[in-house]
Amino acid sequence: MSEPAYTVASDSETTGEEKTSSAFPEIAIGIDIGTAQCSVAVWNGSQVELLKNTRNQKMMRSYVNFKDDVPLGGVSNQLSHEHEMLSGAAIFNMKRLIGRADTDPVVHASKSLPFLVQTLDIGVRPFIGALVNNVWRSTTPEEVLAIYLLELRAMAEVALKRPIRNVVLTIPVSFNRFQVTRIERACAMAGLHVLRLMPEPTAVALLYAQQQQQTIHDNMGSGSEKIALIFNMGAGYCDVAVTATAGGVSQIKALAGSPIGGEDMLQNMMRHLLPDSEILFSNHGISEIKSMGLLRVATQDAIHKLTSQTSVQIDVDLGNGSKICKVVDQEEFQEVNKKVFEKCESLIIQCLRDAKGEPEDVTDIIAVGGCSYIPKIRNLLMSICKKQELYKGMNPLEAAVCGAALEGAVASGVNDPFGNLDLLTIQVTPLAIGIQAVGNNFVPIIPRNTTMPARKELVFTTVHDNQTGALIVVYEGEEKKVEGNHLLGYFKIIGIPPAPRGVPEINVCMDIDASNVLRVLAGVVLPGSQHHGIPVMEVRMPTVDDGHGWCAEALHRTYGSSLDLDTVQKKI
Amino acid sequence: MSVYVVSVGQISVPIASQVHGHLDTRKPMSRWRQRCIVIRCHYNKRPGGRASAEKKNYYELLGVSVDSNAQKIKEAYRKLQKKYHPDIAGQKGHEYTLMLNEAYKVLMRDDLRREYDASIGQMRGPYGTNYSSLGYSSWKGPLRPQALFVDENACIGCRECVHHASNTFQMDEALGCARVKVQYGDDDQKIEVSVDSCPVNCIHWVDTEELAALEFLIQPQPKEGYGVFGGGWERPANVFMAAKSFTKQLNQQAGTQRNARANTEEETPAQAEARANAVMKIKMERFSRLWKWMTHIFGSNKLNRE
Repeated sequence: MSEPAYTVASDSETTGEEKTSSAFPEIAIGIDIGTAQCSVAVWNGSQVELLKNTRNQKMMRSYVNFKDDVPLGGVSNQLSHEHEMLSGAAIFNMKRLIGRADTDPVVHASKSLPFLVQTLDIGVRPFIGALVNNVWRSTTPEEVLAIYLLELRAMAEVALKRPIRNVVLTIPVSFNRFQVTRIERACAMAGLHVLRLMPEPTAVALLYAQQQQQTIHDNMGSGSEKIALIFNMGAGYCDVAVTATAGGVSQIKALAGSPIGGEDMLQNMMRHLLPDSEILFSNHGISEIKSMGLLRVATQDAIHKLTSQTSVQIDVDLGNGSKICKVVDQEEFQEVNKKVFEKCESLIIQCLRDAKGEPEDVTDIIAVGGCSYIPKIRNLLMSICKKQELYKGMNPLEAAVCGAALEGAVASGVNDPFGNLDLLTIQVTPLAIGIQAVGNNFVPIIPRNTTMPARKELVFTTVHDNQTGALIVVYEGEEKKVEGNHLLGYFKIIGIPPAPRGVPEINVCMDIDASNVLRVLAGVVLPGSQHHGIPVMEVRMPTVDDGHGWCAEALHRTYGSSLDLDTVQKKI
Repeated sequence: MSVYVVSVGQISVPIASQVHGHLDTRKPMSRWRQRCIVIRCHYNKRPGGRASAEKKNYYELLGVSVDSNAQKIKEAYRKLQKKYHPDIAGQKGHEYTLMLNEAYKVLMRDDLRREYDASIGQMRGPYGTNYSSLGYSSWKGPLRPQALFVDENACIGCRECVHHASNTFQMDEALGCARVKVQYGDDDQKIEVSVDSCPVNCIHWVDTEELAALEFLIQPQPKEGYGVFGGGWERPANVFMAAKSFTKQLNQQAGTQRNARANTEEETPAQAEARANAVMKIKMERFSRLWKWMTHIFGSNKLNRE
């Protein structure tokens, strides 16, 4: 696939120039692309308004149907029946697949979906295909997302009667920078310019900040600081954030996230109801796809019902002679998804610990996303924070998109005479960024939960005498060894003056600006030397455009440890 | 030091008050966006070493006093962020916000703040010499070892000093005497002339440490009255002696309190505090107004430590 020439930096520059000439700034719209459903919202001059499609829906299913010549997304397409989405011709859950290699467990978990997800387990992107007239037609998650975004854009342009260009998108906390570039690519393909990518719970936090601000205005009270725990769990991802809010400023203290969600619960339940379901569905025959669709719909229904009733009767004929008749109650559901709930709990605890806050300090617990309706999740949140109730002032399904729309208005420079946009989110980095040094160890330079914009630097040195070059290999993640982290890019420092090992100082500086652009700078410093003839390297990351770590292996094969780096012991 | 690129510290970053002028929020964002940001690496800083001299004082940056508690720092930080965060001010706010973040991180963490205070030579301990917030006069330029003080008991209100150095001295029209408004508000020559011009030699050079106590004590205090007798205002006849004994008392107080704290480790913090308070109150009965002042400093310092 030939990639369109596209850089965000030059685009944002032209946008800026346009703005100078125009009296009315273009207000960026907020888009929440969910694993299961999407929504679009915009600041209409006095408040946030959710846009509706031609069928008067605010929430649109996230899928693209390749059945006809022109692929149709969930915005304009009308499903005649739920099963149509599960016929194999429609691709959904693209948010779980985007930017992931075929060794990723999340990709493997997607193999039981009705469309084709083929993996070769070597670390390349998986093959994804939609079944059209008995042919698996290939596509990519980016393409699917771009088609979908194009429909959203068209819908918004009709609703707002103006061209749309700038968007604020919400993304899961656990997305790495490579996945972020995939989202940006999809947006570029749809002709959209990403103004900001907000982790979903921080969008919710911004909405919360606005609500608190309004309450203060109404009560004429003093704006004391409020700590909120935000838990967002949708179909694909689970995110947690702790935010301190005062005077319209939402200061994110900590973020935590993981790719677990309703989809995992659904698959666990399907496996529970039909133990050999994975083997049955893995070969993707027409009849298997049909019976899987039936099972999926029935299970999904049951899970939805279990949020309000204690037990549910599942009665489904899979069509191939097997029938499932079973009563499932709350406890059984919780037992089947024990691991999912345990993960949620550990994320919440980790996030509170990272925020250096006690559970008692939390003023409000905000639970949003589809899974926030599950009683077990609600109880979990209340018991961890020792609270009797959850925050009630938000629609769990609309909170993220409303926050994104607010950020869109703030970042577009819109002013509200009533102070409703007197808001600010102070973001933190969700994952640590560092370089490879001391063998294959990961040395973080910007740790997780560092306030953005951020700039940190660290001094490294050579490992060999008269070493004249060094490789800077940048990774993102939380693991101690580089293999466990995500490769972002690499470059070589040359012209290190010959000196005994440990003498030259190589300064590596990382800079993240408010729109989350990462730049890595590296330069050589020779102690005592007055020369500064060696230019500094400045590299915008990520530079790798495939999601695999092959390049790192190739680098290691070619250079061994000859270009390695060591950390410098801190002088007192 | 070898500088490869312009260091962070050397970029002239306006302090809060100066920025207000040319950093009109929101509107100029578009202009700034045109230019891609230039990132400068800070290359002349040795690891571990705090290059304090070239850096902007974090307290000045946030516009807070050195004894501010966490709450004050937080508020100031948020207020400034709302002005200069790149979301609002555009890309130009990047560098400034980076410094705000750094300052905030250091001042919010107790260990880092102590280290930083030590590096800039600022004492923030409960019995430190930093009374600057309590004195009357403000400082132009850096803190110097000597300061000007007008003994208002002796001043005859001739206005000579105000005439010669109007940026340093001012008249208190109600009391009819001169007072130092801004330390070193004029150049050295003008100040010298004004000191010499005083016909009663009531303008004194004093140690900076003593200044706050002197300025505090020279202010007339309400005198306790009995019925229709007494009342009115008074101040020590010899303010220098009074300041000396006051400082001594303060140091004793500090010692006692420290001892009290050491002795009462077994007690709950509330009990310990109550006891320390009681001891102090007895001692301070004589200076009833000072008592309020003391609780003010001790109180704020206690908050700092928490």
